[in-house]
Amino acid sequence: MIRTLNFAFIAITGFVCLGLYRVAEEARVAQVDLRQTHAAIVQEQDALAVLGAEWARVTQPGRIQALSQKHLDLSDHAQVEFSSLTQLPQKAPPLAPESNIATVKAIVPDVKASKPKPAAVQPEEPAFAVVNTGT
Amino acid sequence: MTMDPRPAPNTIVKHRIGFAAGLCAFGFGIVILRLVHVMVFGAGLAASAGAAPPVSPMRADFVDRNDVLIARDLPVSDLYASPSAFWDTNEAARDLAKATGADEARLKQAFAAKQGYVLVRRGLSPNARDGVMRLGLPGLTFEKAYRRYYPAGRILSDAVGQVDPDDNGVSGLELGLDQLVRGRSEPLQLSFDMRVQYVLEHEMRETVRTFSAKAAGGLVLDVRTGEVIALASLPNYEPNTRSMTPGDSIRNRLTQDVYELGSIFKIFAFAQAVEEKTARLDEWINIGRPLKFGRHTINDFSNHGSSLPVRMVFAESSNIGTAQIALRAGPTRQQAFLRHMGLLDGLKTELPEMASPLYPRRWNEVETVTISYGQGISVNPLAFAAGAAAVVNGGTLIRPTFVKQTTPQKGERVISESTSRSMRDLMRLVVTEGTGSKADVPGYEVGGKTGTADKPVNGAYGRHLLISSFAGVFPMSQPQYLVFVMIDEPKGTKASFGFATGGWTAAPAVGRVIARIAPLLGVRRSDTLAAANP
Repeated sequence: MIRTLNFAFIAITGFVCLGLYRVAEEARVAQVDLRQTHAAIVQEQDALAVLGAEWARVTQPGRIQALSQKHLDLSDHAQVEFSSLTQLPQKAPPLAPESNIATVKAIVPDVKASKPKPAAVQPEEPAFAVVNTGT
Repeated sequence: MTMDPRPAPNTIVKHRIGFAAGLCAFGFGIVILRLVHVMVFGAGLAASAGAAPPVSPMRADFVDRNDVLIARDLPVSDLYASPSAFWDTNEAARDLAKATGADEARLKQAFAAKQGYVLVRRGLSPNARDGVMRLGLPGLTFEKAYRRYYPAGRILSDAVGQVDPDDNGVSGLELGLDQLVRGRSEPLQLSFDMRVQYVLEHEMRETVRTFSAKAAGGLVLDVRTGEVIALASLPNYEPNTRSMTPGDSIRNRLTQDVYELGSIFKIFAFAQAVEEKTARLDEWINIGRPLKFGRHTINDFSNHGSSLPVRMVFAESSNIGTAQIALRAGPTRQQAFLRHMGLLDGLKTELPEMASPLYPRRWNEVETVTISYGQGISVNPLAFAAGAAAVVNGGTLIRPTFVKQTTPQKGERVISESTSRSMRDLMRLVVTEGTGSKADVPGYEVGGKTGTADKPVNGAYGRHLLISSFAGVFPMSQPQYLVFVMIDEPKGTKASFGFATGGWTAAPAVGRVIARIAPLLGVRRSDTLAAANP
């Protein structure tokens, strides 16, 4: 009985030692991975911070203005305004329905029938557009 | 036969073995339980044990109201060298100086001792660090640090301020918001709009150049929320180099200095007259002859005839007429009104550099007269702008702020709605029929007031030394923004017929600023419909 128990305990001890070693090794490897990942994250964060600052520098209005004046043929005009689409002039409604045009065509054969175009669709919400008021 | 009370030796051995086995089982049980605990619940513990200490900047970013970056701590490296590790200290000094921009002579001298650690260069960029690494020199140590970087350079440098090499705020908003920004993870959103800031600085720079002026200051203020949308003081400085070039200045003229602002101060004299009903706007005032107070004579800049209605006294900026209106209130009530408008007490904002107003201790009739048209009292332009905003925004005094707000301020009421409405009409009249016509921008209903003050030099007013200014508000039917521009010592030009007054210098600049920023700020033209459907 005692012998059996001893063998059992020795076996358990062996298994536990192996298990402990395995866990410890896994933890160590995980720690190394974690440190590397953390360092990589910090490095990426730093790189992003630098890129963000660089982006802010190169997109400064003064730099964009200088570049546009050098490379684009744009007028320096302060007349471009924001306005609502509802404030744009409306399309005129169709002059006459199709049947009337057919009647006229029967009387005057040279008149070309033109299909009426649909009226401009009004947006439900007033959207904003850029228009040149030309004032 | 006697019975031996002691147990048999066999039994004792068995008990002892059983006891030892129990102890072992108990010990192993604890170990197994711990193993199970580590394996099942231990992942978090392992992760926390393995995590490196958080590396983060000391200060949060400053961003503008549209999340455009204003200031950020960028990762840099401080480079130290151990000269004893170098084979040839002179060669190492030369290579390091070339790679980092450090002073070669200093490095040679420091390396010659061949002992200790020498600081080669602070704040190396990642690129410079890579360059140093490529040298392959031994004995180098990089220490990670953060350095404040301002992508816009000179733009906004006076207001944002500076930090010291240890990243502590030492001036401007860097100092004023130091506690708020330190250790914060989220960016701090300021009230500025970098697009508007650029436009303001650009137009001010052009104006300074055109009129050969000494300096200039300008601001854009939201009259409802008190947010400072832009604030510029010229000349300014480059904050990233931490060095000054000739002509640079670190003074924020809008807050650190006080000025006698001249006729734009008439806004308050007329606001008081309307509020206290000491003058009717259609009443005629005799302005034909100069006013004499002892040795002082009050004149107008130009001849406006023998009399003018009160509204035109304001529009034409008559000193003689304004003085008579101010005298009706008298010194005590004038002083009380100006104090109520926040012009006699120091203004408190997030900016620590805020000059207190200067005004006469003895405030009699002569002082009442001169103060009515903005001479004899010096205030900082930001305090003036806050007072002027209260005059046009419906009558509530707002506190200027440099942090983005989401709701209008509920300031103290200082004048009535109807007085504010009358003042808006008067200020619109200045632009349509008065001295500020060059500030007009079709469609934006610009109103305002011109100011031209004699500049005191060594206790006396200098000849032809002026502070010319214009405070413009738009749109006057429902004021949203106040634009103030002040030019220090402008010189008249051929195009301005030799005039260097506010109406010829600052007013056109304000007009150009409004024309450019109004669409950016989403202010709609009042005449858009008419223009689109003629």
